[in-house]
Amino acid sequence: MMKLPVYLDYNATTPCDPQVLEAMLPWFTEKFGNAASRSHLFGWEAAEAVNIGREQIASLIGASPKEIIFTSGATESDNLAIKGVFEMYAAKGNHIITVQTEHKAVLDSCDHIEKMGGQVTYLSVDKNGLINTEELEAAITGKTILITVMYANNETGLIQPIPEIARIAKKHGIIFFTDATQALGKIPVNVLEDGMDLMAMSAHKIYGPKGVGALYVRRKDPRVRLTAQMNGGNHEAGFRSGTLNVPGIIGFGKACELASRLQPAESDFISTLRNHLEDSLLSLPGSIRNGPENGRLPQVSNLQFNNCLSSDLMISLNKYIAIASGSACSSASPEPSHVLIAMGLSEKEAHHSLRFSLGRFTTKEELDFAIPKIRQEVERLNRVYS
Amino acid sequence: MKEIKDIILAAEEALKQGRQSALATVVYLDGSSYRRPGARMLVTEEGRMTGAISGGCLEGDALQKALLVINQQRAKLVTYDTSDEEDITMGVQLGCNGIIQVLIEPVHPENENNPIELLKKINSKRQQVVLITLFDAANKNNAHPGTLLLLEEGGNVSGEIEDDILKKALLEDAGDAMRKQQSLFKKYKTGIQSMEAFIEFIPPTVSLVIVGAGNDALPMMNIAEILGWDCTVVDGRASHANSDRFVTACKVLVSRPEKVLEQIYIDEQTVFLLMTHNYNYDLAMLRLLVQTNAIYIGVLGPKVKLDRLLEEIQSDGSMLNAEQLGRIYGPVGLDIGAETAGEIAISVIAEIKTVLAQRSGQSLRNKAEMIHGREELLMEEKRLH
Repeated sequence: MMKLPVYLDYNATTPCDPQVLEAMLPWFTEKFGNAASRSHLFGWEAAEAVNIGREQIASLIGASPKEIIFTSGATESDNLAIKGVFEMYAAKGNHIITVQTEHKAVLDSCDHIEKMGGQVTYLSVDKNGLINTEELEAAITGKTILITVMYANNETGLIQPIPEIARIAKKHGIIFFTDATQALGKIPVNVLEDGMDLMAMSAHKIYGPKGVGALYVRRKDPRVRLTAQMNGGNHEAGFRSGTLNVPGIIGFGKACELASRLQPAESDFISTLRNHLEDSLLSLPGSIRNGPENGRLPQVSNLQFNNCLSSDLMISLNKYIAIASGSACSSASPEPSHVLIAMGLSEKEAHHSLRFSLGRFTTKEELDFAIPKIRQEVERLNRVYS
Repeated sequence: MKEIKDIILAAEEALKQGRQSALATVVYLDGSSYRRPGARMLVTEEGRMTGAISGGCLEGDALQKALLVINQQRAKLVTYDTSDEEDITMGVQLGCNGIIQVLIEPVHPENENNPIELLKKINSKRQQVVLITLFDAANKNNAHPGTLLLLEEGGNVSGEIEDDILKKALLEDAGDAMRKQQSLFKKYKTGIQSMEAFIEFIPPTVSLVIVGAGNDALPMMNIAEILGWDCTVVDGRASHANSDRFVTACKVLVSRPEKVLEQIYIDEQTVFLLMTHNYNYDLAMLRLLVQTNAIYIGVLGPKVKLDRLLEEIQSDGSMLNAEQLGRIYGPVGLDIGAETAGEIAISVIAEIKTVLAQRSGQSLRNKAEMIHGREELLMEEKRLH
């Protein structure tokens, strides 16, 4: 039996994989130790389990376990990376380069940096959402200490040229941070091949639990240092104090292990479903895709229906389909998507756009149900407004 | 061997008191470290440690891991990277520059071939053995079979392993290690699975035979004891060779020279020191020893004394060959300016160690290459069908 509404908002969050949940369960009740307890078995067991989680995460991205710092999620990782670099490298400079289409966690952290007296350059993007790396290099000044560009966009799935940005950053001796929250587990992400110095990750986007994330912090070539943003006990090698979320970390580790095993085949499968959904909806008159067909994540489709307000569509379909118009974090506000605006869409076009995102548990059956529902509603609204 | 003896004693003591224990073994090393593969430490459930896996830097963490192993009754492979200068688990900058793999396994007394039982078999007689420890380095969190097979010099095999193909390959390589008298590291691959083996060649303990039970033999015996060597003191005089004077010596023999060798088993780790201060006794012993395969025959005294001894031995026309002469060390010891009996003992014991290890005895700072050759630690891959 298919459960309704059909969930097509995997970019907002994913359900916990049952295997992840199973791995986590004992760590709430019987094995409840604090990983920082050094004097007894409860602590040793928890510390060991945390280390296994650390290894699983490191292994998915080609890092060393010591390069993984646990946080409460990608937003905290973004804050730690940006503010941590800004404070630590204050003697070197105060300029940060980012992009207009970044996630709010990055943009708001950059806003904070400006309030603290830092300089921020917001790079523009082309109609596909892609940055221009020549423009990026030209923006570098003697004061630039950080370049922060997301791996793949949460709204459109567009993948930025990460290895090229890393090369430019390295050439100029600048730290390169990428928020890979949406890319992780969906496409291969490898810190050795991609060359980033810092990378934010989140468990709940890859079938792990909410409330746990990580920051990859490069230890070699170069060794990156950060000023901690959370003080009190020197956990996580001094980068992030606070008792570790042991069950969360174990779930995150398990999710990464599953992703390492499943990712290539799963991505093929999901992109086939996504393409089927997209093709079926793009055949509607007045509908177009926001962003390019290629060079994006396999699970996302951002579509524009020129006669339908996305808010109307989401509400009228709510019983059958769970979808979103942009990032979950900004859908609380009626502002049009800053990502789509940066790509050159008008406010009206942005308000007429919807994000469909699929995942591990999306079925052909669900799409066969959802596609006619969406088509019917778009056609109805077309008649109403044309 | 000293460490193995100590560990056996500690394990037996723990067993007597009904306490559980775990055995930690350095199974692989990439780079350099204070202790090499084959270093072992026993940890009992109340945290008593016997033996060592490092110069002291890793024991603290290994103790905690060993207690976890005892609690979980499941072997663990722990990797220590001492090349990372800022590793917080080490706490200090070690500068050892090596990645050390330590296997920590629970000791199950009910298993007749548990690691301690295998160690006991090694120690039951003077022999060369090959001891096999299996671990899965690629999947540290998987099960590790651990220390499980022992090949003794006579071909006797103890221990079991279910996989017949792997067992056959292990025993073949154990035979190879026995022939080469050298430990080997192998990675066996079957399909996508792999398993590493530390195939450890363990020679018998050095057996030091001190001929001459004078006061100068006492420091010799004391140092041998620190090193865990077997020690036999021989003299014709019961007033000198007695267990009141040589309290801890394994064996005290009062014998005429021609009867001595009937009571001593000579293997490739048996060395002799002639220091009776009695020309005729030394002569009689040397005459017999050159005909044996003893690898080291030290002769105390000046060169003129040795020349005279050799001249007399060859006076009947039976000339000693170069190989025989090469095994005679006289004047005995390394040139360290030794004067007193204690200093001479250090000089002589150091020379014996040098000869057994086939080293030069030079200062390490004059050595261009690493202290230990890297080729000794090569992990060779083998695919099993």
